[in-house]
Amino acid sequence: MAGYIIKRIAVAILTLLVIMCITFLLMNAVPGSPFLTEKSTPEQIARANAKYGLDKPLYVQLFNYIKNYLKGDLGTSLKMQEGTAVSKIIFHQGKFRLSIKLGVYALLLAIIIGIPLGCIAAYNRGKWIDGFLRVLTTVGVAIPTFVLATLLLVSFAVKLKWLPTLSSSLTSFKSYIMPVVALSFYYTCYIAKLTRTSMLDAINQDYIRTARAKGVKTRSLILKHALRNSLIPVITYLGPVLAGIITGSFVIESTFSIPGLGRYYIQSVLTRDYPVIMATTVVLSALVIFMNLVVDIAYKIVDPRITLTGKED
Amino acid sequence: MDAKFAKISPFQVDPDKIPPLTDEDFAPAAENEKEAMVEKHKSVSYWRDAWRRFRANTVSMVALGIFILCLLFAFVGPLLIPYGYGDQYRASQKLAPMEFSKGEEKIASITGNCDAFFATALRPGSITALSKGDYYINYKGTTYAFTLTKALEKSVIVLDLDAEDPLVIVKESDIKDGTWKKSTPIEFTDTPAEEAAEIKLVTRVFPHVFGTDSAGRDLMARTMYGTRVSIIIGIVAALIVLIIGSIYGAVSGLAGGAVDFVMMRIVELIYSIPEVLIVLLLQVVLKDPLQAWFDSGTSAFAKAMGDLGSGIVSIFITFALLFWVTMARIVRGQVLMLKQQEYVTAATALGANNGRIIRRHLLPNCVGQLVITTCLQIPSAIFLESFLSFLGLGVSAPMASLGSLCSDAIETLSIYPYRLIFPGIILTIVVLTLNLVGDGLRDALDPRLKR
Amino acid sequence: MDEKKTLLEIKDLKVSFFTPAGEVKAVNGISYSLGYNEVMGIVGESGSGKSVEAYSIIGLLQPPGKVVGGSIEFEGENVLEYDDEQMRQFRGNKVSMIFQNPMTCLNPVYTIGNQLTEALLCHDKGYTKEQARARAIEMLELVGINNAEKRIDQYPHEFSGGMRQRAMIAMALICEPKLLIADEPTTALDVTIQAQILELMKDLQKKENTSIIFITHNLGVVAEICDRVSVMYAGHIIEQGPVNDIFYDPQHPYTKGLLASTPRLDEEGRERLIPIEGTPIDLLNPPKGCNFGPRCKDCMKICLREKPPFVEVGEGHISACWLHFKDQAGKEEKK
Repeated sequence: MAGYIIKRIAVAILTLLVIMCITFLLMNAVPGSPFLTEKSTPEQIARANAKYGLDKPLYVQLFNYIKNYLKGDLGTSLKMQEGTAVSKIIFHQGKFRLSIKLGVYALLLAIIIGIPLGCIAAYNRGKWIDGFLRVLTTVGVAIPTFVLATLLLVSFAVKLKWLPTLSSSLTSFKSYIMPVVALSFYYTCYIAKLTRTSMLDAINQDYIRTARAKGVKTRSLILKHALRNSLIPVITYLGPVLAGIITGSFVIESTFSIPGLGRYYIQSVLTRDYPVIMATTVVLSALVIFMNLVVDIAYKIVDPRITLTGKED
Repeated sequence: MDAKFAKISPFQVDPDKIPPLTDEDFAPAAENEKEAMVEKHKSVSYWRDAWRRFRANTVSMVALGIFILCLLFAFVGPLLIPYGYGDQYRASQKLAPMEFSKGEEKIASITGNCDAFFATALRPGSITALSKGDYYINYKGTTYAFTLTKALEKSVIVLDLDAEDPLVIVKESDIKDGTWKKSTPIEFTDTPAEEAAEIKLVTRVFPHVFGTDSAGRDLMARTMYGTRVSIIIGIVAALIVLIIGSIYGAVSGLAGGAVDFVMMRIVELIYSIPEVLIVLLLQVVLKDPLQAWFDSGTSAFAKAMGDLGSGIVSIFITFALLFWVTMARIVRGQVLMLKQQEYVTAATALGANNGRIIRRHLLPNCVGQLVITTCLQIPSAIFLESFLSFLGLGVSAPMASLGSLCSDAIETLSIYPYRLIFPGIILTIVVLTLNLVGDGLRDALDPRLKR
Repeated sequence: MDEKKTLLEIKDLKVSFFTPAGEVKAVNGISYSLGYNEVMGIVGESGSGKSVEAYSIIGLLQPPGKVVGGSIEFEGENVLEYDDEQMRQFRGNKVSMIFQNPMTCLNPVYTIGNQLTEALLCHDKGYTKEQARARAIEMLELVGINNAEKRIDQYPHEFSGGMRQRAMIAMALICEPKLLIADEPTTALDVTIQAQILELMKDLQKKENTSIIFITHNLGVVAEICDRVSVMYAGHIIEQGPVNDIFYDPQHPYTKGLLASTPRLDEEGRERLIPIEGTPIDLLNPPKGCNFGPRCKDCMKICLREKPPFVEVGEGHISACWLHFKDQAGKEEKK
């Protein structure tokens, strides 16, 4: 187990290094300098480049990035908040916390609502509630997050005025409702669909027949025997869910004007603020990679057949 | 007959009711008679069987029908409506759905003393003292709209469709008892010659079904066009993924050993990269170089790509770089499975090379899986494109995709929500029907579910 | 062996599967009775309806399968009339079942002990968890699992195939049922393990006084363990009788064919196995006459027209074939 985790962390660090290299190459593939504006003179640009080390050869710059990251130094912002340490922007201005909160709530909501819905549908297979849930979830995974988010915004905030329009600070419970619902809706539906399918799959397994032959109660058949087995594919899907929620948060944060990491990432890309791009990419990637590791360990808890060893499968 | 009958079977026959049996009854039966007892099942080909099962799936068939309607909407629809996706109608900005355009066609202008207009026998409209603005005249069931760009005093609009110029302005003082003298020239004494008044009139041929945007563009035409762009992006991206993924997967699976190991580690690496971060970066990075390539490019390919715009091309590049990994895994899995099959071993033993094995044996056998995965890739590509366009990175005006239309609608959302709702609904329908068709294909093509 | 008292009485049982292609009559009117402490073998090819018949006894039939006629009386009560809760209390308690594939029949995510005690606990027999655990260990020891104290906390994947089947048997017998239905319990196992499991079942049958319905396609297994044998073909019982009669004096051409296609150690002279030609009939469109007719080498004109009735060919030995009438007709003519 410990060996497995160590191996996984090593792979994760390697992946992050590769991501850093790719990001760096992409950032520098654009000709010109981030300081190039209509007003700036060549001297100003050269001075700014020199100040932030952008005049050095590329491999030196990349090496510096990696060296500094290993020391925990994420660099300083070039443009958006010029001169401020990126780590301070991300972690101390509430951006990271805001995004994480949003993401975690959405993830929890998707799990807490999605799995029971899937169970209910599978349990009532063929009845009207199953039909209703199937239609709901099938349509749910076809509605783009941004359409849902904006429709929620218009109906509940602008027209009905039940919920605050600007969720920017996310101070009150009410301000969380729309962003979290919009962000998690797709995944709630997807998890419900997935749970239903794998539940029905599990119900057809031989061990369910054995349990029935023992005289186990129907409720216990579903909740004990079928559920735990059917959770295995759902857990596999949780890694992609987190990646997807981060993707979705880009849209949600810009729709609800939440000053989170996703929105900040897009701004940094558009303004070519290199250190910020690099830092946000690495932080978000690390989050996703970490989540994948957590998922693999959760696997072990649910399915005793899986032995986590350092060996290749 | 004194055999003891056990009272056990439902086919238990009362001894008395057994028909009198003759020797003939105990004569051996002929082979063909035996065979005639068993009804033979016709064996059906894989594709015919799959199609039969797909047809039996009502949900998928309905979804396919709706998707075909979407295709018609996107590809045939623009031919049927009189508006283009980029045409701006200056007087028709911000129209609500089903409203008609105003003043698109100038049919008469009055400059200075317009004594050239005469009216024949027609009832005049009841309008006097025309101020600037929009007017409608109903004549024989058809509504004619016109716009006056300058006020006209003491005049009357007369409509005469038989005349060469159907619209005539008559001074009120010339009208007596509802008619006026045919040859009375109109004098606009109070209209200086240099200040021209324009009268525009257009027949209401077609409403703006989805309304118009702030630039006066017909939203239905734009939605049709956007649907077309989105569907094309989805299909092309899925094909790119199909080609790259299946080649990579097939090569990896067939090569095996160290090559397979390295290739699969690369897949794993790409798989663990949160692709959207890279995608966003790629969109920005590729914009300028692509534009430069389009501008300098003389080849037909560069020109064709230039027509698509850098946003769409970079979406394709993104798919080609990052999104093929799932397909590669599936194809590799299929190849590994099929590699074990005897006919492949037989083909290898007969000296067929790898290329031939791929073409003749492996691809035809995993084609079902490929069709399903490709079909389900289309909606996810459409999703990604709309996501990028929504963030302002994908398709840019005057081109439109469903995502960019939604994005355009955001600013005025509280006033004109339908601008988001129409493309949003179409986007949802396209993705929904494609998902359902994909599910139906999976049920129809997956041999594991075959009875 | 007390065969006078009847434990289970099946009368004219009919089970159909309602598929989109039509009604498949998987079991088309079978009847038999089973005494206390009796072991009945049900033999037939796959698709002959033997498992379906067993499932309907224990109420495990799933849609689209449905009992469409007949009765199943267990100790005088028709189990087909039980409601869901009565059926649940009946299952596992009075009748239990073991299945073909021990690799997939145990839930992979729960320990053996958990699954064993569950059978006890869900029947409200007044066991506490500790008592149930002690009983489970006792059962595991009974079925020959060494180190049961430790093994009970292991997961199914830590057991070998033979051990899993032993655990399955322990689980089936933990409530001391009166009837055990064994659906091909040895088919998925290695030959040496097969023999061990059979030996175990024979032992336990004597120790626990349980009746067994033993479903298999393997005649060798039947000879080993059963008192009586029913041979099924295409939803019908075509021959039934004491195990020795069936083995040494088979009457129905299908039973004869089945025996000829099974390797035997007691017949020295036979050199090769003779397979039964052809495939079983399509139960969607059963033929008008004898179901075995199309494959029977002695098929006669009458077999094409009429289904044969049962004839008692010996003490407790019945067979349904027109050939018996041919003999009869011949004898009469000679006289």
